[in-house]
Parts: sequence; structure tokens; C-alpha cells
Amino acid sequence: MAETQTLDARVAALGGADAAPHRSLWRRIEPAAWGAGSFLVLLLVWQFVPYFVPLKPGTRLFFTVPSRVAATLWQMIVSGSLWAPLGVSATAFAIGLAIAIVVGLPLGILIGRSSLLNAMFDPFITAFNATPRLVFLPLLMLWLGIGLWSKVAIVFIGALFPLLINTYEGVRNGDKLLINVVRSFGAKEWDIARLVVVPNALPFIVVGLRLAIGRAVLGVVVSEFFGSQEGLGVVMVRAASGFQVDVVFAGLIVFAGLSLLMTGLVKLVEDRMTRWRPEHVNAP
Amino acid sequence: MAEQAIVRPTFAARYRKILLGGFAVILFFAAWQAIFLFVPFNPLFISKPSLIAAGLVDLIGSGDLFHDLAVSAVPFFIGLAAAVIVGVPLGIVMGWRPRVGYALDPLMTVFYASPLVALAPLLVIFFGVGVSGKAVIVFVLAVFPFIFNAHAGVRAVDQLLINVVRSLGGGEWDLYRMVIFPSVLPYIVASSRIAVGRALIAVLVGEFFAASEGIGYAISRFGDIFALDRMFGCILVVMVIAVVLTEGIRWAERAAFPWRTRQ
Repeated sequence: MAETQTLDARVAALGGADAAPHRSLWRRIEPAAWGAGSFLVLLLVWQFVPYFVPLKPGTRLFFTVPSRVAATLWQMIVSGSLWAPLGVSATAFAIGLAIAIVVGLPLGILIGRSSLLNAMFDPFITAFNATPRLVFLPLLMLWLGIGLWSKVAIVFIGALFPLLINTYEGVRNGDKLLINVVRSFGAKEWDIARLVVVPNALPFIVVGLRLAIGRAVLGVVVSEFFGSQEGLGVVMVRAASGFQVDVVFAGLIVFAGLSLLMTGLVKLVEDRMTRWRPEHVNAP
Repeated sequence: MAEQAIVRPTFAARYRKILLGGFAVILFFAAWQAIFLFVPFNPLFISKPSLIAAGLVDLIGSGDLFHDLAVSAVPFFIGLAAAVIVGVPLGIVMGWRPRVGYALDPLMTVFYASPLVALAPLLVIFFGVGVSGKAVIVFVLAVFPFIFNAHAGVRAVDQLLINVVRSLGGGEWDLYRMVIFPSVLPYIVASSRIAVGRALIAVLVGEFFAASEGIGYAISRFGDIFALDRMFGCILVVMVIAVVLTEGIRWAERAAFPWRTRQ
């Protein structure tokens, strides 16, 4: 506790003007305390439900408590039964996301710079972005089989559009004056992209990346539910049909943790990049 | 590149965009149809627009398509309605009562970030493969956009308006009715666009898992029996519905809250 206090004091000292000197410790930690408290209450209530509510035998099949989920998760980590399926899922995730980045960024820049391409691609982007990509899964399974590549394709379709659309928005946001200046100095389209458009669009692209990661994780989970032989999603579906509810929750926790971790890292990059932006001052 | 000097899009420029877009779509389907003049056509793995159109006419004529759509629509709307009824008040209270916000915001963030679709197998087993199972999946996926946007909307409420209502003797309920709800409304409409997309995913997930009817079931069944023309037809129908719903809400946003169009 004492350490937290000194740390807080140092943070406050660094913060300078915007750290109000009169705010008490409680005022500063109140939001965090409420947040942690609600987590704790939820977990405790969940843990002790079986002691207060008599569960029917049928319902008990579907019921688990946090301590058992934690024990199962720990068991999966220690015994190593988590890593092989997770590796399979991570491979599909990484390949799909990488292809989405390789395709999405150049295409987004191209569409942002050319009004002709923009007009021609717009109906397709709108349609594919609005459509739940899951609808293509049966088709992709026919084409690519139920192995790695149908998963990669679903991840790719899901992750492509946030990247593409955000890159496009970032490019459109480019400062016309800067573009004209560079052009008056004899820059070609490639130089304009390299010197003005891409650096300016970078914060948008990072936001797109954050959204894409979320969608890619979702894509892995969903495609493993329906068209796959191995992977963490497959482990979860098999556990669900075998009434091993704690395994389902353990898998959910792993997916959620990885998703939060990755989006959190990207968010850090995002905050660093957008720090100089004036609107950032008003953000909470 | 000269067109870029025009800041405000003229009527002609907008017309040009629609024309070019329509042209691109027609070109796409024409190329799709034409490519099989040169490449051998295998009806087990690919279909062509003429066959898809014939399959669609067949599905519409026999009434199968509308039956499947109607079956899928019921859990879609029930789940979405439940998401609005639960999500909007919860978000408003979270925004208006800071302590409730502190308590629930981290919890909701974690739920929203985690791939809740992963709970679908459990929900299907628990609630059954009928309407209720699907509706619960729809609710679980669609409720969070409403919570977060209602929350954000309340925090953006004009403090001046609140003070005016208070000085004129308005109570807590008057504040909700006259200030908070009207200013949250645009946020809710915006979130319904996101929620509709997630609800569509939820219906498909529910029907891919276990169903005996519905549009998602139709797609996976036509895939299983290699009826590619009908499968493509159903996929196109889902795409059209998704576009109509999301673009329709976008249009409604522009029509109802014109001051918010350009963020």
C-alpha cells in the first residue's frame, strides 16, 4: 500500500498541473476500487451459488464454479494440453492477419488516392463489410477443406476490412496542402505516399489494426467451431458436447486474455502516436 | 487529379460515383459469367450467375427462401429487442451514476473484448436448438454495443441543459425524460448498426450449430449436398439483407440526426 502511495505521488508530481493536489487517495483510486470490487463480487457470487440455490441434476451438468475453471486452466497449462491446440489456432490467426495487412494497406492507400478506384470498389467493400463473414464458411470449407486454410481465409476476410477502411479514411484525411507542396517540388505519386500520406494515415492504420485483431480472434474461434479438426476452438466444442463446462470457460479465458493483451499493446502504440493530436487533450 | 480541388461534392460527382459503382458490380458479374467460357466449369465447386439466378427464382417460387428467412428472423428480432431493453437502460445508468459506471465499466469491457461466440456451444446445449437458444446468442452478442454507446451518449450530455432543467425545478425523472434520453438517442441508433451486424453473426452461428430450418441452416445444407447455385443464392440474399439493414440505419441516422452526419 505504501508503495502504491509513493508511486502515485511520483506520478502526480510528474503530471504537474493536471494532478489536483487536494484529491485524496480514495478519490483517486475510487474507480479502480469499484471496478475490482465488482469483479470480486461477481466471482464470489458465482462461486457460492451452489451453496444457496439448490441446482437440479440436469442444470448441474452445465454448471461450474470459478475455482474449478481456474484449476482446469492451470491443469491444461501444466500438463501441456493447452499449447498444441493453441499453437494451431495462433498459426491460423497469424497467417490470416499477415495476409490481411499485406493486402489491406496498399489497397486502402490506392483506393484513398484514386477516386475512380474508390467509386468502383465501394459497393464491394460496403457489401463485404456489412455481411457477417461466417456466411462464407461453408463455401470456404468446400474450396479449401477443413484444415488450416479455410480458417486463414475467414481470419483474412474478417481482418481485411477494418484495416482497409481505416487506411482509406487515414489517406483521405491527408493534408492537401502538404501533398501540393511535395508535388510542387516534383514528387511522384510514390513519394507522396511515402512522405505525406502514409505517415499521416499511420494513427488510423493502428486503430484499424486494433479492430482487425479483435475480428481475427473471433474468426479463429468461429471457424474452428464449424470446420476444423484441431485448435483451441475445437477443444472447446468437444468439451461443450461432453459437458466439460470448465474447459469451455478455460478456453474462453485464454482467448479473451490473448485478445485483451494484443489490443492493449496496440492501444499503447496508438496512444503514443496520437499524443500530439490536439483532440487527445480532451480525451479521458 | 484535378477533381480533388472541388471540396464540396457536386451533384454530378455523386452521380458519377453511383454510376461507376453500378458499372463495377455489373462488370464483376459479367466477368464471373464469362470466365467459364475459357475455364472448365465444375458445378461441384463453383457456380455462375445465370445458374444462381435460376436457383434463386426456384427458391423464391417454392417459398422455401421466405420460410427460412422468417424462421431466422424471429430469434433475430427477439434477441435484438431484449438487447435494447437491457442494454440501453444499463448504459444510461452507468453513464449517469459514476459509481455504477466505475463498477461495471471494466467488467463490460472484458466481456466485450472476449470472443463471446465461444459460449455459443454451451448456450445451444443449455437453451436448446430452437428459437430460445438462438435468441440468447443474439442477445449476448448484441447487448454490448448498446451498453457502451448509451454510456458514451450520457457522458456527452450537455451540462447546461441539465442545469436548466434543474433550475426550473425538474426532478431526476424529468432529467431522464427531457435531456438524457433525447441526447442519447443518436448514440443508440449508431450502436444498433453495430449490433445488427453482430446479431446476424449470432443467428448464423446458432443455425450452423444445430438447426433444422433457417437461412444459416439452408446455406450449410446446400453446401453439404453440393448445391452450389442455391448456396450462392442464399449467401447473396444474406449479403443483401446485411447491406440493406446497415445502410438503412445509416440513412435513418442521416435523416433523423442531420447535425451528427460528419463527426
